[in-house]
Amino acid sequence: MIAIEYYLVLGAALFAVGVYGVLVRRNAVLILMSIELMLQAVNINLLAFSSYLIPRGDTERHLGFIFAIFVITIAAAEVGLALGIVLRIYRNRSSVNVDELNRMKW
Amino acid sequence: MFGLQWAWLAPVACIGAFGILALSALLRRSLPSSGVLPAVCAIGFSFVLFWFLLNSLINGAERDFTVSWFDAGGGAFNLGLTLDPVAMVMMGVITFVSLLVQIYSLGYMRGQPRLAWYFAVHSLFAASMLGLVLTNSLLVLYIGWELVGICSYLLIGFWYERRSAAEAAKKAFITTRIGDVGLLVGILLLYYKLDTFHIPDILRAVEAGALSDGVMTLSAILIFLGAMGKSAQFPLHVWLPDAMEGPTPVSALIHAATMVVAGVYLVSRMLPLFEAAPAVSELVIAIGLVTAVMGATMALTSNDLKRVLAYSTVSQIGFMILALGHGALAAAMFHLATHALFKALLFLGAGNVLHAVGEHSDVDIRRLGGLRSRMPVTSAVFIIAALALSGIPPLSGFWSKDEILQAIWNYGNPATLVITIAAFFLSALYMTRLVWLVFFGKLKPENQSAHEAPAVMTGPIALLGILTLVFGFTAPDWLDNVFGLPGNATGFAGFVLDKADSFHEHVVLAAISSVVALVGIATGLALYRQGMKLPDTADRVLAPVRTLATNKYYLDDAYQWAIDRVVLATGAATAWFDCYVVNDTGVDGSGKITALASRVLRRHQTGQVSNYILVISAGALIFVVAITLAA
Repeated sequence: MIAIEYYLVLGAALFAVGVYGVLVRRNAVLILMSIELMLQAVNINLLAFSSYLIPRGDTERHLGFIFAIFVITIAAAEVGLALGIVLRIYRNRSSVNVDELNRMKW
Repeated sequence: MFGLQWAWLAPVACIGAFGILALSALLRRSLPSSGVLPAVCAIGFSFVLFWFLLNSLINGAERDFTVSWFDAGGGAFNLGLTLDPVAMVMMGVITFVSLLVQIYSLGYMRGQPRLAWYFAVHSLFAASMLGLVLTNSLLVLYIGWELVGICSYLLIGFWYERRSAAEAAKKAFITTRIGDVGLLVGILLLYYKLDTFHIPDILRAVEAGALSDGVMTLSAILIFLGAMGKSAQFPLHVWLPDAMEGPTPVSALIHAATMVVAGVYLVSRMLPLFEAAPAVSELVIAIGLVTAVMGATMALTSNDLKRVLAYSTVSQIGFMILALGHGALAAAMFHLATHALFKALLFLGAGNVLHAVGEHSDVDIRRLGGLRSRMPVTSAVFIIAALALSGIPPLSGFWSKDEILQAIWNYGNPATLVITIAAFFLSALYMTRLVWLVFFGKLKPENQSAHEAPAVMTGPIALLGILTLVFGFTAPDWLDNVFGLPGNATGFAGFVLDKADSFHEHVVLAAISSVVALVGIATGLALYRQGMKLPDTADRVLAPVRTLATNKYYLDDAYQWAIDRVVLATGAATAWFDCYVVNDTGVDGSGKITALASRVLRRHQTGQVSNYILVISAGALIFVVAITLAA
């Protein structure tokens, strides 16, 4: 059986890639994709813990899976909403470069 | 028997009259010159009530009444009455003089604008004065005390169109306020130490030695400061002469007979406190003596009819304070009563003179003369009052002055006695001067049209004249059987002191004071009737004193200097401090610091979402690392 550490390292690596993408990318669409990566990293953690910590046959074993399904659903909705916003921004400013979207200040 | 608790009706009736007059003026949106009946009725009712109360008091009714007013802050505040003989004497003086003055005002103030307001304030004055003397709570006394001050302010400035009247009203208010602050602090000090405003309780505590010497001395001095302001004692007497800017009946009522003796009443009421603090009694004696002599000399050099009388009032109240300093309650109260009668008479007589020569408030007595032939009634009663003030037997002033001398003889030192006799001499001298210059000599051509006042004005002063003649006979115990005083109270002194005591007549002192008065009158006649010149040496010796007295001992100049150089300079410095330090630096400064700080700090809001995320991530990382290390 593969040790849980492997799954956790994979999740952490995926999360770090997502954070890196959010921080350095300037394209709003790519930032959204990076956020998706972070969410999936969390999903991996949830599934790994669910499988390893709760014994086989226990009804609560599916709790982590259900969580993951929720995360996927909400991520889909969020991406839909966010892409809608991005689309509006593009319509308004002909650009989705987040460096130019600096109106959220004093 | 008529219960003494009904005394509260008197001030309430008067304040009701004030309310009616003020309300009707408010409804009509003007101050009418008619409709003064409620005021006269209220004070007349109070005067009638006084006789019922006096009868009950003599027959030994219960005197102390207290009802709860409100409870707050852990203290109970009560309203109450104490109708002891001292309060009763004051009530008699106030109601009687107020009634006569209001009747007199019907004639004197006829046709004046704002007449209803004049009578309304008169009513308020009577109400607050009655409240002041009848209450047994220092708190209520203080309220009455301040109301009296306000009424005085309003009446002095009644003719506020004249700048001098407005200035005089302001001066009177501010000067007495200086004393009032002392009184307030004294009252609060007593409350702080004894937890009560109830005067009999305070006096009992004082007699039981519940207060330390320091507290007693301090509170006595502070309370005496209030008395000094209200009773125009040196050095706070400067407002009284200026107060003559008001209508003459006001001078008679407030500045001779009733309000200015509030201080005397206060000291009488708190006398055990003063007796328990001997140092303060010495101060009281000193102030009384200085005021008596100073007032007399200024009366001698003043040339304004009403100001002479005003300085005379200052001097006479000095005598009362002097008597109280010696603990002579009965003598002080007796002089208060007799002085109220003859001084009210003198002022109302002066009002008749002003009326005759067509002036309102100030007239140079050197311009008058020979009015005796034109004003027989006024001049006759004026002369009676002047003789009484000089101390000629058997007029009332003789008796009361004699009692004061007696008190000094018994309890004081010889120097005080000699100075007091000298002041008596001066009293006789200035009254002779005044009477001679106004009523005798040649009638000046501009006064040919002078005429006697109408009956509504001569009636009150004639009544006062009769009382001035006979009131002195209440001093000895001759009349006790006539009045049927119960127990063995004897004469006025027995009544006031409420025990078997009488004035101790001393034939030699009485003879001395009579002779001094006669010599004073003779000197006055010699100087002013025959125009006799003083010998050169005496003239040279007296010249500096005369200069001093003519210039009012430079007190007004000193106060003006103090106001200009000290008060205004301090005010300017404070204003500068407020403007530049408190406002510009403190208030504006804190605002500026906030603006500056936000100008610097807002830079961290870049608007770059990735910057925010970087900070959030870094913070989360630090948090996790810190927790891991800690675990």
